[in-house]
Amino acid sequence: MRRDAEIPRSTLGYFFREALRRIWVSKRTSFVAVAMIAISLLILGAFLLLSENLSRAVTRWQGSSRVTVYLDADATPAQVHDVDAFLAAHRDFGARRFVTKEEALARFKSYFTNLSEVVGELDENPFPASFECNVSPRTAQSPAFAREVADLRAVAGIDQVQLDWDWVRRLRRLVDVVNIAGFVAGGILAIAAAFTIANVIRLTMMLYREEIEIMRLVGATERIIRGPFLIEGLLQGTVGALVAVGLLFGSYELARRLLSPASSLLWGFLFAGFLPWQKIAGLIAGGMVAGWLGSWISVRERTEEAT
Amino acid sequence: MPHTMIHFYHVTKRFDRYSTALHDVTFHIDKGEFVFLTGPSGAGKSTLLKLILRQMKPSDGQIVVNGRNLNAMRRAQLPFFRREIGMVFQDFKLIERMTVFENLSFILTVLGVAPKEHKKKAYGALRAVSLHHKLNAYPPQLSGGEQQRVAVARALINDPLVLIADEPTGNLDPDLSAEILEIFSDANLRGSTVLIATHDRELIQRSGRRVIALDRGRITDEKPAAPERATRAGGLFGIG
Repeated sequence: MRRDAEIPRSTLGYFFREALRRIWVSKRTSFVAVAMIAISLLILGAFLLLSENLSRAVTRWQGSSRVTVYLDADATPAQVHDVDAFLAAHRDFGARRFVTKEEALARFKSYFTNLSEVVGELDENPFPASFECNVSPRTAQSPAFAREVADLRAVAGIDQVQLDWDWVRRLRRLVDVVNIAGFVAGGILAIAAAFTIANVIRLTMMLYREEIEIMRLVGATERIIRGPFLIEGLLQGTVGALVAVGLLFGSYELARRLLSPASSLLWGFLFAGFLPWQKIAGLIAGGMVAGWLGSWISVRERTEEAT
Repeated sequence: MPHTMIHFYHVTKRFDRYSTALHDVTFHIDKGEFVFLTGPSGAGKSTLLKLILRQMKPSDGQIVVNGRNLNAMRRAQLPFFRREIGMVFQDFKLIERMTVFENLSFILTVLGVAPKEHKKKAYGALRAVSLHHKLNAYPPQLSGGEQQRVAVARALINDPLVLIADEPTGNLDPDLSAEILEIFSDANLRGSTVLIATHDRELIQRSGRRVIALDRGRITDEKPAAPERATRAGGLFGIG
C-alpha cells in the first residue's frame, strides 16, 4: 500500500486554503481565539519589556559598582588621610576618587536642575565630602569584602559607607520577581488561550463532522483530515502573537513619548529600548505553539474517537 | 485460476443482543466479477457493504478483500485500502459546500494527483455520467439523480479495484438507470470488480449478472451469471 510519508506541496496548499476558508467562515469564534492569544502574549510581553529594561539598568550599574565613603562634616584632615590610607591598603576597593563638598553640590545641581535653586538658597553646603571607589561586581559580593567594609566603617571620620551593589542586588531581585510574575501570568493566560483555541477547533470539527466522515470513507489519511485544523490553530496563534507584539510596540512608543521627558532619570532607564528580536521571535513562537497545541489537543481527541 | 477479490467467511454482525444484521454469511466474489446483492429492506445489504469498506468490523468471521484480512488491518492502513475501493453511497455523501468539480478534485487531492491534472480527470469522469456541464454547480442545486451521478463519477475517478454501490439507481428513471449500469459495465470491463446492492429486480434480470440474495441477514439464494454475461473472471476473456 502507498504511504504518504511526505506531504506534497499541493496538499500543503490545500491545508492553508482550507484553514483560511474555515477561519473566514467562523470569523467570530476565530476572533475570540486570536484575541485571547493576543491578550495573554501582550501581558507576558509587558512583563518581559519591564524586566528587559530593568535588566539593562542593572547591567549598566553592575559594570560600574561603586562604594561611596561619606565623611563626617567635621572630619579632620588627619582622619581624611587615615580613610585614604585604609582604602589604599585594601586593594579590593580599587581606584578611588576624592569628591569635595563643592563638587558634590555641583553634581546635585546638574542632576536635579529643578531643585538647584532651593539648594542655592541654603546658607551652608549640606553635601558631605566622599571617597568613591570602583569595585568589581565579583569582589563586591565576596564575604571577605563585606568584612573589609565593616572594618572601614569603624575608621574615625566616616559618616556612612554606601554600596551601589545593594541597589543592584535589590533591582536584580525585582527583575526576577517581574520575570516570574510575567511568566506565571502569561503562562496561565497562554494555557487558557490554547484551550480557547482547542474549543474553537472542536466547534469547527463538529461543524465539519459529516465532511470528515466523507473524507475518511474516500481514503483521506488522518494527516489530511487534521492538517487544515492544525494550520487553522497555528494561524490563529501566529496572528494573535503578531497583534500582541504590534500592540506592545505601539503602547511602548506612545508611553515613551508621553512619559519620557529628556531630563527624567527614572523614565530614562524604563524606556531604554524595546524588546530584542530574540524575545520578539520568542513571543511569536509562543503564540504559534499555543495555537498549534490548542488545535492539536482537540484534533487528537476528536480523531481518536473515530474508528 | 480466478483470484478472489472479496471473501466473506462465516461473517456475523451483531449490533446488540437482539439485533443481528448478518448471520454466518459466507461467499466470495472473484476479481473482475459483476455481482448484484439484492434483498428486501433490512436484509443486511448496507451492513454488508459497510463491512467491505471497513466502516465496521464483523462480530464473528473473517473478511478478506484483495488478499487483505480486514479484521487484522491497522487503522493507519485503512485510508490506503479505501482508496482502492470506489463507493457510491445511498445518500451520495457529497460535500455540499463544494462544487461538483471540487468534490471530485478533493478525491484527487487525497490520492495525491497533481492539481493541474484535476480539471482533466474531473471533466472526464463527469462526461462519463453526462454531467460535464454541471462542473460548477453545488450538490443542493442538482436533482437527486444528478447527485447520484456525481457520486458515481467520484467513485470511478480513480479506476478502483472494487466498485461498490448502494442503491445507485434508486433515484433514477429507467433510461438513466440503464445508463448508469452501462457505466458500471464499462468500469467492469476496465478491470473493476463490481458489487451493486439494489432492489431493482428488472435491472438485475436485464443484466443477467450473478446475484446474491439476502434476507434477514442470511444468504437465501445465489444465481450465477448468464453464460453470455460471464465476466473476465468467469472465462469470457479467457482468464478462468
